[in-house]
Amino acid sequence: MIRVRAVFEKKGRAKYISHLDLNRCMLRTFRRSRLPIWYTEGFNPHPYYSFALALSLGFESNCEIMDFNITDDNMSMEEIRDRLNAVMPEGMRIVSAAPQRLKITAITSARYSFSLVTEDAAGLFEAVKTTLAQPELLIEKKTKKGIKTVDIRPDMKVISCEATDTGVDMVMDLPAGTQTNYNPTLFVEVLKKFTQIPFTAEKFCRTGIFCENNEIFS
Amino acid sequence: MLKDKIEKHLLEIQKPSRYIGGEVGSVIKDKSKVDVRFAFCFPDTYDIGMSHLGMKILYSLTNERENYWCERCFAPGLDFEAIMRENDIPLYALESLDPIRDFDFIGFTMQYELSYSTVLNMLDLAGIPIFAKDRTNELTQIVVAGGPCVCNPEPLADFFDLFILGEGEEVNLELMDLYWEMKQQGADRISFLRRAAQIGGVYVPQFYEFSYKEDGTIAKVTPKEGAPAVVKKRIIKNFDQVYYPENFVVPFTEIVHDRVSVEVLRGCIRGCRFCQAGFIYRPFREKSTDTICRETRCLCENTGYDEVSLASLSTSDHFDIDNMLTKLIEYTEGERINLSLPSLRVDNFSEALLEKIKRVRKSGLTFAAEGGTQRLRDVINKNVSEEEIMSTCRIAFEGGYSAVKLYFMMGLPTETDEDIVGIAELAQRIVDLFYSIENRPKGRGVQVSVSCATFVPKPFTPFQFEPQDTREEIERKQKLLLDSVKTKKIKVSYHDPNVSQLEVILAKGDRRLCQVIYAAWKKGCKFDSWSEHYHFDKWLEAFAECGVDPAFYANRRFGYDEILPWDHLDYFVTKDFLIRENKTAHQSVTTPNCRLKCSACGVSKEMGGACFDKGKSCF
Ligand code: SF4
Repeated sequence: MIRVRAVFEKKGRAKYISHLDLNRCMLRTFRRSRLPIWYTEGFNPHPYYSFALALSLGFESNCEIMDFNITDDNMSMEEIRDRLNAVMPEGMRIVSAAPQRLKITAITSARYSFSLVTEDAAGLFEAVKTTLAQPELLIEKKTKKGIKTVDIRPDMKVISCEATDTGVDMVMDLPAGTQTNYNPTLFVEVLKKFTQIPFTAEKFCRTGIFCENNEIFS
Repeated sequence: MLKDKIEKHLLEIQKPSRYIGGEVGSVIKDKSKVDVRFAFCFPDTYDIGMSHLGMKILYSLTNERENYWCERCFAPGLDFEAIMRENDIPLYALESLDPIRDFDFIGFTMQYELSYSTVLNMLDLAGIPIFAKDRTNELTQIVVAGGPCVCNPEPLADFFDLFILGEGEEVNLELMDLYWEMKQQGADRISFLRRAAQIGGVYVPQFYEFSYKEDGTIAKVTPKEGAPAVVKKRIIKNFDQVYYPENFVVPFTEIVHDRVSVEVLRGCIRGCRFCQAGFIYRPFREKSTDTICRETRCLCENTGYDEVSLASLSTSDHFDIDNMLTKLIEYTEGERINLSLPSLRVDNFSEALLEKIKRVRKSGLTFAAEGGTQRLRDVINKNVSEEEIMSTCRIAFEGGYSAVKLYFMMGLPTETDEDIVGIAELAQRIVDLFYSIENRPKGRGVQVSVSCATFVPKPFTPFQFEPQDTREEIERKQKLLLDSVKTKKIKVSYHDPNVSQLEVILAKGDRRLCQVIYAAWKKGCKFDSWSEHYHFDKWLEAFAECGVDPAFYANRRFGYDEILPWDHLDYFVTKDFLIRENKTAHQSVTTPNCRLKCSACGVSKEMGGACFDKGKSCF
């Protein structure tokens, strides 16, 4: 049995596929590919596959991760990739298939790019800078145990922040994985507290998934 | 671009993937190479409409033709409709995301009466004039409808350019061919409609004039513009060879029937007297086991679905049922596919097959008994005896089932209180049967669910002449049933009689209802089949404003010699036969099924030969 880790894109119209629907969608993709995917044992056997991180509805991604097992030891990673790509929905594509190296629990952070769009680009850029200069950024976060106030500033790593004609383009790393998951919309929420300028946030895209020492997860 | 405008708002609404297309199996063509564009519209939401088999068939069939492009269109949910209206997003088709008002054909499938108001809402959202008379005389935007409800299209007559009667597999393409031919010649709408009316199965309502008697019944229907006096439905003669899709559009979001569906037979041999499908789809035709297996395999492989269901009115009536199920189960088990078998009577199967079915069948056991006593079941020609019900329940209980669901109708012709009490008594005998079985499922109680619909008399059935019970009478009977149930092991549920009343009016109505539907829609009626959106009070206001008496259609017995609104449409079953059957019903006498004995309903005459030969269907 080969343990496969596939990295796949979810772009264009595919960003409207919810996480729940993605499960069903992959099940059918596997069936169309006729790959010998491994089924769980027990009372109600089903094909086993799992996603490393959930992706918010409306986000694109270059780097979603899906693990599954193939029962044919002689099958090449290229064949697995190509057979899936031949039957994938529009907007989804397997970028690579490789043996699973690290445990899913090794994931520590994810990188997101997004754009803030406004009429007052210069004003908004100042507001973003002011916000980022704060020693702490408190937000209310819903958890399983109720609403909790957290400071997201220490865990937020801004990779780039550029003024554009229409607003601000940002890239940032946020905690991700089995412990803490921050969504970049949390930053958007906080920003709204520091400025009256109307703006919208769009083109969210997950561009990287990392483990300790900023190593790319694979 | 419309796409950008749509996408701007998609994250504000529920299940956005329903509104943006891109599903696996959807057909994309190069607009510049397409001659005729057809928007296949389902007057309900995506989740419902995408489950409809007829759409899948006609979608694929049309798209096989390189220069024709068929796209899908559904009614948006209320949240998205508000956004569309606010932001000038016209109703669009899911493949190209182009507005459907720019299409050559806008085709609706009319599956249930309660979708009529939604049609008006969709036309309005599309920016297409709601009344046919207000549309341009240019040859474009032809608004058409098909489906079971158009066997009486009169309540919709003012909104449509033409109706397609019967099965669409051939006539749809003939219409598109004619359109393209005339479009190239620069013809206008009216001349197209004139020639379309000469195609078999095409009914152009504006070419028929209705006059009425003083008592409100129809005096005369006069054809104009050379249109035929009687329009015959279309039918596929060689059913085993008829086109069937090799692929379905596979939605991302979950829909009501989210599986492969394979049509095993069309029509029905049974002739239950209340059932419209049992008459308008005649003759009974069945596919060969080989065809069914091939289509199942093909669709499962292409869609990736892991569930398949057999579509038919009564699967057990297939001539080769044992062999067919054995082969299908062999395939689906090997591929780990779930086989769901609705409308299957299990009483006459072999032990071995029953074992296999039990293995694959997960759903509970359901029975359409329809009537509470044998007398009433004879009246409606529902050929299921209490013995059969009991023996099937016994088999089921011994096989580990402990829940049974029974369907009944209330307000049937000749029904008395005894028949209502009979429902409760039958349910009670099933409860008693359960406890009398030694090897019944242990540790569980039995659950008998009784679901009661209100009887809705429909055109082209022997009961087309019958009145519906008034609401007060139905409510009295519902109470009587509840009072007759003596145990919590029997659960009773029923439909809202207000809904059934609107159904019968729209089913049996004439042209004078067009104004009522329009008025009701103006008051905000749409999605009438969704109880949370159903506003009977608004409908009553609309009737009052238009001076139309609902009881004239709902609670009046239509005379045998009265001209009915659908008498000029020919569904092969003759009115003489329906009258004969109606009389037989009132004598509580049953009519044998078509396989046992032909009752000369008129269909074989149209088909040019007997319907059955040695028990196998001839077509
Ligand atoms: S002609 Fe006879 S066999 Fe054919 S559908 Fe009618 S009753 Fe049935």
